[in-house]
Amino acid sequence: MAQTIKLEVVTPERPVFSAEVAEVQFPTASCGYYGILPGHTPVMTEVGDGLLYYIQEGQKHWLTVFGGFAEVGPERVMVLARESETMDMIDLERAESSRQRALKLLKEAQTEHDMAIAQAKLDASLIRLQAAGHPAGHGF
Amino acid sequence: MASLQDIRRRIRSVKNTQQVTKAMKMISAVKLRKSQERLVALRPYASKMAEVVRRVVVRIKGDAEIQPGPAAQAFLSPREEKRIRLVFVASDKGLCGGFNANVAKAATAFVAHCPSEIVHLDVVGKRAVEWAKKQKLTPTKEYLNIPLPGLQRVVTEISASASAQYHDGEIDALYVVYNYFNSPVAQTPTVLRVFPMELDPSFEGKEAGQVSHLLEPDPNAVLETLLPRFVETELLRNLLESSASEHGARMAAMDKASNNAGEMIAKLTLTMNKIRQAGITNQIIEIVSGANA
Repeated sequence: MAQTIKLEVVTPERPVFSAEVAEVQFPTASCGYYGILPGHTPVMTEVGDGLLYYIQEGQKHWLTVFGGFAEVGPERVMVLARESETMDMIDLERAESSRQRALKLLKEAQTEHDMAIAQAKLDASLIRLQAAGHPAGHGF
Repeated sequence: MASLQDIRRRIRSVKNTQQVTKAMKMISAVKLRKSQERLVALRPYASKMAEVVRRVVVRIKGDAEIQPGPAAQAFLSPREEKRIRLVFVASDKGLCGGFNANVAKAATAFVAHCPSEIVHLDVVGKRAVEWAKKQKLTPTKEYLNIPLPGLQRVVTEISASASAQYHDGEIDALYVVYNYFNSPVAQTPTVLRVFPMELDPSFEGKEAGQVSHLLEPDPNAVLETLLPRFVETELLRNLLESSASEHGARMAAMDKASNNAGEMIAKLTLTMNKIRQAGITNQIIEIVSGANA
């Protein structure tokens, strides 16, 4: 059995990540977090919004993922994300200002639809902040 | 014969035009590069998406226990095509050679020979709206002046509503007419059926030996979410192809126009010099004959 598993993350804009890793965990839309080790049963599922982590050479790294689709095989994990960023792609200032904007929108929201949009924006900015401000090796 | 003054004026105007076409060519080259970059970046995603869809379909086909839901039908057993939705993609601006004319011709032929009824028509670009008007079709929705980053929003909108319409039985198929990007100087007007999708028959059975995938939370839910995603990716690819084609076509057209202008200036300059020369010769003859007399 292989000791590593190939993780590929692609978005419509660019291929984000591709390398051999020891372990992956990603959020799904309906079944919580999936932790994947080499030799996992093949699974296909929808990806939710949140943080994906992978362990490479004993180090934990984070990626943000927003929606999409994942295909898990015994030797590889392919994540087709709607959006995804590595930690150095995240603009902290922009995420913070978008959090402030989302909070303001949430307060001013009249309809349920507005509220849902504002909440989604807030969640997205929080995920980015969490990823960027995350001390490595710390669980969430 | 035109006077010297007239020819000078014409040369000046042609020179101005040449400047404009040269500038437009350069702008198109930059825009083409941007569109092409996005298209190239999308390709790995699109091909992987198609791979995943194929795998799910093969998996569901091979398992008699799974009852295919309405979304699965879009991939597995297409309904008879009675009502279809059409997306017509052209450009907002002209001055791009045969780009709009060719794709409009393809669309007209498609509409004329299409046995099913077009119940929903989306048009992208001002020229597409004009085409619809000429054909006496009423577009359900018009998308005008969409910048490159705005394409994502357009495709999300179209694919979400198209999937819902398929689900509710309002449409049986989704077609797109657009310009396929062969190279910066060659485009092919293309009619594409996005769904029900045609599966490559050679693919079936190829993966039978492999362990089949678990589909979480259940096969139909997976297909339900996969269908709009797949349609989205396909549409985005088509729109980007069209955008890259448009800029490529404009670049080629403007290059030709600049060259033509250059030729015209050379010709006019020649005529101008001839006339000037003739004038001088005439004057000399007059002076000489005056002195002789």
